[in-house]
Amino acid sequence: MKRLGFYISIYRKIIIQDIKSKMSYRSDFIISMIGMILTDVSELLAFYIMFLNFPSVCGWSYHEMLFLYGFSLVALTPLQCLFDNNWHLRHYVYDGEFIKYCFRPINVFFYYISEDFDTKGLGQFFVGMGTIVYAWYKLDLPVTFVNIAALIVALFAASLFMVAIMNIAAASCFFLTNSGYIMVTMNKFRDYAKYPVTIFPIFFRIIFTFIIPIAFIAYFPSLVILRPAEIPFLTWFSPVYGIIFFYISYRIWMWGASKYSGTGS
Amino acid sequence: MEYVIELKNVDKEFKVLNRHEGLKGSFQDLFSRDYKIIKAVNDVSMNIKPGEIVGYLGPNGAGKSTTIKMMTGVLQPTRGEILVNGRIPYKNRTANAQNIGVVFGQRSQLWWSLPLIESFKLLKDIYGISDKDYKDMLTLYESLVDIKELYSKPVRQMSLGQRTLSDILAAFLHNPPIVFLDEPTIGLDVSMKAKIRNLIKALNKEKNTTVILTTHDMGDVDALCERIVIIDKGTMLYDNDIEHLRSFFGAYRTLLIKTKKHPEELSEDEKNAELTAVETIVKEDFTDKDFTFATTDEGWCSILIDESQVRLMKVLNHIQEKMKVYDVRLEEISTESVIRKIYEDAENLKKAN
Repeated sequence: MKRLGFYISIYRKIIIQDIKSKMSYRSDFIISMIGMILTDVSELLAFYIMFLNFPSVCGWSYHEMLFLYGFSLVALTPLQCLFDNNWHLRHYVYDGEFIKYCFRPINVFFYYISEDFDTKGLGQFFVGMGTIVYAWYKLDLPVTFVNIAALIVALFAASLFMVAIMNIAAASCFFLTNSGYIMVTMNKFRDYAKYPVTIFPIFFRIIFTFIIPIAFIAYFPSLVILRPAEIPFLTWFSPVYGIIFFYISYRIWMWGASKYSGTGS
Repeated sequence: MEYVIELKNVDKEFKVLNRHEGLKGSFQDLFSRDYKIIKAVNDVSMNIKPGEIVGYLGPNGAGKSTTIKMMTGVLQPTRGEILVNGRIPYKNRTANAQNIGVVFGQRSQLWWSLPLIESFKLLKDIYGISDKDYKDMLTLYESLVDIKELYSKPVRQMSLGQRTLSDILAAFLHNPPIVFLDEPTIGLDVSMKAKIRNLIKALNKEKNTTVILTTHDMGDVDALCERIVIIDKGTMLYDNDIEHLRSFFGAYRTLLIKTKKHPEELSEDEKNAELTAVETIVKEDFTDKDFTFATTDEGWCSILIDESQVRLMKVLNHIQEKMKVYDVRLEEISTESVIRKIYEDAENLKKAN
């Protein structure tokens, strides 16, 4: 097992080189960035129009919802930027190309995931941060060290959940030949992440908390900042859950990879 | 350590679902537990010494890739023992990977969007190559091929030839004792093939690297391999040097005849018709003898004759009596025909051995 420092140093080098090469295709880089920002902004617009007609949704005000939305955008950035290669996994597996990731003396998951850095996610990050700051200001939330630290920890935990969900969805291609729809379906769930889980019926609330834990992506962590008085007990554990869930997804991915190479050409 | 690679009675089996036909059959398959076992590699043993270049040959689906995957630690053998650099490859894939280099078909293992030199620098870090070794290796590369002009080129912009070249250099970069090359010259033009072969030969000589090479191109075999191993349907048919193989088929010669004035202008069907005509004539007189018939690219008919059975001149005389022959050529058996012969009658070879 190689040391963590070794992987971090290699990861940093790969990402710097990858971003450099992507930026050299300037128009491609700028257009994809603008495209991502436009998508996010148009969703913000939909929010705004909705709240022109309803003063609140299940007791959540416009600015609280904005906060939640911004939070989910930032929390999804690591998935978009760092784990985007998962989307190509099933093609590599399907035509046998995945084998090439098995010949290097490094972790296969790391080698595969580190190969691509998706710069589109950066646009999403800036829109998300902007929205959080705006909502923060409008909600008159205190700017304290504890609050900022809580926000960072909450964002970190939240992003782990979405990454883990997509890892598992991507790994399904090791077991099923036609697994594309699983990724698409799972990806759709992230749209639900930006609403407070309380607006869903109890059945879905349980699913989104325990089975496909998207409630941890924005809802539970945001409560820490927005409504510290009414946090469910579960919330305090979300960073731990996040790490455990990510680890489980990593094991499933690696298990699939070892199973894949066992099936021959 | 006398051998770098040791295979002892290696088997590899795959479990495959017995498929049923039709729509009803597909539904049956959903619940079926009816598996059959396919033996991809059957009782293969070989020992390879440091510095050897071994041509690992066989028709498509013979089990070549499976064997290589087992030697690289990606697959676990069902039975038997494999030692690579004295280590069991599948038990520690990463430690094994540190000591081998692999080029697998046309799949580039370099970072697609990075300039070549950046890929090299990453490999330097991944394999922990010292600054001095790295520099020495690049100096060696630069003395062998025009690689400098490729350094700043991203792999995605390279031609197939440049990419193959880069991949081979990347596989040798950490100076591994063993390099596996799976069809390294596939799809390349003649001059690029020659360049790649020279490069492999030079690196093997310079660094005493053991090279295991699979190919369908007999040019590769003639240029590089002192020893060849032939496998078909998972079973080993031959393991010896190439000269021995040729002398083994020494009694075989190829007779080439031109039955039309401009045979190169014939269509495929017409060429085949010519060949059938020749075949009929030969067979009616030498009913109990074995021949192998083929058409060359220029439209000549080629007949592989075992002179221990029948003299070549006798066959030629007979053909000339029956049809007009415009031109004649004789050839010693080529490596290609030898290999084809082995695939065709593996059974005969076993008896002869």
